[in-house]
Order: sequence, then C-alpha cells, then structure tokens
Amino acid sequence: MLKSTTPTVVGSKTEAKTKHRTFSLNAKDKYYAALFLGPSLLILSVFVFYPMLRTLYISMFLTNTLGKTTVFNGLGNYTDLLGSPEYIASLGSTLVYVFAVTVLTVGIGLLLANLASKRLPGIGIFRTLYSVTMGVSVSVAAIFWLFIFNPSTGFFALLSNLLGLPVINWLTDPTMAMWAVIITTVWMNLGFTFLILLGAISAVPTTLYEAASIEGASERRQFFKITVPMISPTLFFVSTITLIEGFKSFGLIDLITKGGPTNSTNMLVYRIYKDAFYSGNYAQASSEAIILTVIIAFFTFLQFKFLEKRVNY
Amino acid sequence: MNKRLKNSLISLTLIIAAVFVGIFTTNKPVKSSSSSDRTQVVFWHELGGASEDALEEVVNGFNKSQSKYEVVPKYQGSYDEAIQKILQTHGTSTSPAVFQAFDIATAQMIHSKYTTPVQNFIDKDPSFDIEKIAPAARSFYSNGGKQQAMPFNTSQPVLYYNASLLKKYKITPPPVSPTYSDITRVAQQLYERSGHKTKGMTVQIYGWLLEQATTNAGTALANNNNGHTGIPTGIDMDNPSTVKFLEWIHKNIKSGDFINYGSGASAGANQTAGFLAGKVGIFIQSSASIGELTANNKDQLGITYFPHPDGQKANGVSIGGAALWISNDKPKAVQQGAYEFAKYALSPAVQAQWQKSTGYLALNKDSQKEKILKDLYAKNPEAKVPGQQLADAKPNYVNSGILLEGMQVTRQLEEVAMEESYNGGDIHKALKKATKNVNQNITTSNRANGYK
Repeated sequence: MLKSTTPTVVGSKTEAKTKHRTFSLNAKDKYYAALFLGPSLLILSVFVFYPMLRTLYISMFLTNTLGKTTVFNGLGNYTDLLGSPEYIASLGSTLVYVFAVTVLTVGIGLLLANLASKRLPGIGIFRTLYSVTMGVSVSVAAIFWLFIFNPSTGFFALLSNLLGLPVINWLTDPTMAMWAVIITTVWMNLGFTFLILLGAISAVPTTLYEAASIEGASERRQFFKITVPMISPTLFFVSTITLIEGFKSFGLIDLITKGGPTNSTNMLVYRIYKDAFYSGNYAQASSEAIILTVIIAFFTFLQFKFLEKRVNY
Repeated sequence: MNKRLKNSLISLTLIIAAVFVGIFTTNKPVKSSSSSDRTQVVFWHELGGASEDALEEVVNGFNKSQSKYEVVPKYQGSYDEAIQKILQTHGTSTSPAVFQAFDIATAQMIHSKYTTPVQNFIDKDPSFDIEKIAPAARSFYSNGGKQQAMPFNTSQPVLYYNASLLKKYKITPPPVSPTYSDITRVAQQLYERSGHKTKGMTVQIYGWLLEQATTNAGTALANNNNGHTGIPTGIDMDNPSTVKFLEWIHKNIKSGDFINYGSGASAGANQTAGFLAGKVGIFIQSSASIGELTANNKDQLGITYFPHPDGQKANGVSIGGAALWISNDKPKAVQQGAYEFAKYALSPAVQAQWQKSTGYLALNKDSQKEKILKDLYAKNPEAKVPGQQLADAKPNYVNSGILLEGMQVTRQLEEVAMEESYNGGDIHKALKKATKNVNQNITTSNRANGYK
C-alpha cells in the first residue's frame, strides 16, 4: 500500500530518484505517507481489521454462557455448520433470494431506465417517481409493505377478493414469504439501480443511435447492440453491488418475517444475528460470518473474472 | 512548509480526538433533573406497549413511596436480546442494577454468577414474608435452596374455550382440570354439531406448550431432575408423556376437528383472531392473553387448567414470564435499592393492580383480598382460573422449569418436531431427531462452559 503511492510523490520531488524508480522512501516521504495513510489505517484497524481477525479467532473456539472463548475447537464449528441440514437450507434460501433480487432489480431497473431515457414531455415526473425509493428508509418500506401483505385488510387481499381469487398468505406461507421479502427488496433497490443506469444510458453518444437509425436498425436491436454494450461497465457495477447487498440483507427481513415462517427466510446474515444476539452462541455466529465472507468474496471474484471480460465498448 | 505540516498534523489529531470523544461520550448516562441526593437504580426491562405503561406506573409508585432511591426504567427490546446485553455489559458503568430476565434464561443467569441472590436481602429483612408469594413461581427462580431472583410478571398456560358456542350446540363444558379425552370430546362434538363450520381445537406449534404438556404429565425433559440437582447432560423428548401429547393432537387432526395455524408470532395472532371470530372453539395460550380475549369478545369466554393425559393426575404446569434479578457489580446501597424496588413490586396492592392492567397473575396471596381483584372476578368469574391453577400447583422439580442453558435453541428444535408430527410424520422419529440435536447442543455447551 505504501509502496504503490511512492513513485508519483518521489517523481515530483527529487530528480535523482526518478531515474531508477527506487521504492525506498526518504524521511519526508515517510512523513507524508504516515500523514495521509495514518488516519484511515487507524480507523480501519480499529473498526475493520481488528473485528475481522477477532471473528476469525472466535470461530475456532467454543464460547461459554458469558460469550467468552474457552475451548479450542479448530475447524469444528465449520464442520458442524456444513453438516447441519438447517444451515445448508439457510444457505440455499439465501442463494435463491440473492439470485432473484439481483436479476429482478437489474432487469427491471434497466427496463425503466431505458423507458425514462426517452425524450418525451413530462418524462421528468417518471424519472422522479422511479427513483423515489432511494429516499425511503428500510423501516418505512417494511411497514408500508406489511400493510400491503396483510391477509385481511391488505391491498393484495382486497384485490384477490375483488377478483374472486383465494387470498394468499404472504407472510405465513414459507414459499410466499420468500417472495414477499424478494419483492420488497427489489422495490427498495430499484431507485438506486434505476438512477445509476439512467445516468449511464444518458451518457451514450447519440451519434451511435443516429448512425444505427440510418442503417435501419430497429429500436430493439439498438437497445441490445448499442445501449447494453455501452453501459455494460455500469451494469457490471450495479449487479455486483446488488448481489453483495443481497447477501448482506438484514433490515427488511428483521422487520417483515424475522426469518420465518419455519426458517424459510432465515438468510445467512439474519442467522448470524440470531445465533449471536438471541442464542448467545458467538462461536457459531463467528464461523457463519467467516463462511459468508468467503462466499461473498467468491461471487465477487466470479463476477470480476467472467463478467468483466465481457464488459466492452 | 514544515511548520504548516506540523500545524495540519496537530489539527488532524485534534479532529480525530474530537470524533473519538464524540463517540464515547454519547453513552454517558443522562442526568435526571429530579435525582438530587437519591441513589439511582437503573432498571432494564423488556415490556412494551400497554405492559410498559403499567410497569412505569409501578416504578413511579415506588419512587413516590420513599425518598432514598430513584428507579430509572430503561426499555431494552426483546427478552432474548436483553440477556446478551446484560451479560456483555456486566461490570461496566452502563450495566443495570436490577433487570428483568425471562423464564428460560434462568440457568444462564444463575451460572453467570453476575447476580446477588435476592435471598441474601430477604434473610436480612423481617418485614418481607416470602411465604406470601406463590410457591410455583418462587421455586422456578430458586436454586440450591436460595431464592435467586424475585418472580415478577408471571403467566400460566391455560385452555380457552368458546362458552357461548358450547351452549348453542348443547355441549357439556370440560371440567376445570380436563383430560385429553375431555377436550377431544368437546372438540369433536363442536365440529360435528356446527356442521363442520367451526373447527374444534388448535394447539399452536410452540415449544413452550410441548414442555408444559410434558410437565403436566409429570415427566422431566432434562436429566438431573430438569437441572435442579446438577447441570443437565441430556434430554429425552421421546418419553411417554410427550408422545401422549402429540398422539392426542394426531387423533384430533385425523378426525378433522383440529386446525393448524403453524408457528411463530403470526400463528399466535391468527389463532386468536380465529378464536374470536368463532372459527375455532378451543385453544391453549398464556393466561396473559385473558385481557385481549375478554375485551374483544362478543362470546362468553371459558377457561380451564392445562389438560393432562387420561388415567393420571395433573402434576401442575410451570410458570412463564420473567423475574427481577439484582446485579452484583453495583455498590451495596444500589443493590439494596434494587431489592426494595423488587419487594415493592411484589406487594399485595401493586400485584393486584398489575394483574388487572396486564393479565399477568398477582403473585402475592394477599392480593386476592384487594378490591381491584374482587371487582375483576365479580365482573368476570373465569379470570380466577389461571390464579387457581397457579395456587394449586405443588412445586416439584418437574414443574419448576427446565434449568438448562440454550433453551432458546431447544425450543426451536421442539417446534421442528411438532411441525413434523403435525404434518403426519412419525412421532417417535420426530422426537428422536429433536432429542439428538438438542443433546448435541447440550454437549457442546457443557464443553464450552467446562461443566463436567
């Protein structure tokens, strides 16, 4: 970290050093480096690195009633978790949730952004409407959707009654509860995704579309052959962010389903919280946190490896 | 240049310092304006809504009743989360002097050694007669012959039935202490005579109810006498008492008079709504629901004791709810103040008012002589039943709660077993699996805690 910043600093200061691009630092440079990196390193180590290492440490022990580490357990916590059908089920439901949320958020966001990028009178109203969820807090969104999902007085129940359809038990049926959480999350994420994608689409040079129109390319063709490739770096960014946020999802689950019914929405992060702060099993919760970190790192790596290659202009 | 650098460094340090000071001073307790020279006793509790209002009334009453102490109530969220907060803040300036901890955390609290047993204060206080407090509630929070905590908000599981519907279909109501077949008879008659319009009964998928059924049949789930004579090393859910309970439910599911509302908070709300709407005639729930069930009910409410298996006597159920514990990390004067508050909260008049406003049972025997309760019973005679069930229970190891750490996880596994059996699965198989998982958890926990 220190070294990579040196060439520019060195280059501007001393003539002699630039010749062989040495990585050694003189006293003043060290001073500068410490000055600029010190504060962030201090804060990062107190609030990020120490907790991370501590979590790793706790995950290799058993913790007692008081939450203190007592018996060294090696990888025992990890093997116990990976051998537990409940944990595997939790992992499975998290993957379903993250996949559905990412696909739907990016898909719908792209569709809306493409529509809103058209120059039409009054389009500003729609742009505002589509991005408005960015300003809604999680708790407000959760309460709003809880009203909609209410089996006797909610909007969906009233709609079903009006159409003579059976009322769906959104929050008590395990499968539907998963959908309820997915719908709410997508709705919450949409504002941000929409805004970013709209910005990207607006930045595509209009000359490309003009040329394509002269060539006789249809709108659909223009969308897939010009818009999508041109905004692919943004699409990549948005899907990575949505995926990571999906894995970390907590607030909505806590407020809407509390992980139920029958653990169907007990996603990894919520599980960590419950195991630590409900059951007081800090060792197991720490192991779960480490496994989650590995999973997120793996998916981010996959995205960089495969998606980034296809990101081109 | 150097000077400027030095200046910027200094200002940066100052900013960082300011930020840290800002972060760490927000936890400072806010000074109460009325504190003056009273000793402050910080009280953590987990009651929200109407119960919180009633609790604040108790606190205000105590603060007005004397001038030595000032109890400061602080709401801490759910029961489960509060336990972790209490354990993790112990020994710091933020920790409470007296706190409310729920029934299934009793083993954790005793083993933590973070509390002073209330017995120590009771022994030095001739003005307090512990014999006045309901024995079943006392024994739940005592260990090694010592009262560890003061029982506070206490409930009992009872069986509710729709008395108006029974009358309408000319069904003989169940006796006060019914057997499983008494309830089955009523449920089936109700289902048949209503032309299948009203379901006979439901039992929520709730670990507490499975434990209570086992308790009422006289069987201890955990070994070492439910943990009262030593740290439990295992439990056995596949015992005749638990099996009889699930077989009883199976029988009713098969004959069609049983409706399953599932598990969790929404199941609880839905079954209450179903009962109030006359869609189901019988259900089992905490006695604390009695207020809700009388206030919003157009029908007459019937209440009986928790049912028990045929051909045997009921052992009596254990209590639910929470107790007041005194932290041992506070000065003697503060601990004494905490005890004085607990004692006040258990006094006859306070307990009578407490039962009226919350539905939790008055624990002081003398509360029954208070006008508030007499008026309550005159208006609604059924409200007497939970208190009678509590008074009838002769405490023994089986009905004094399960002194086992990790009860939260145990409950979850009990509920999985109930769910499997309700859905038609083999009872023994479901219970064996739950037993295996719970025992694995107990073994790990005992190893972590160094229990032999």
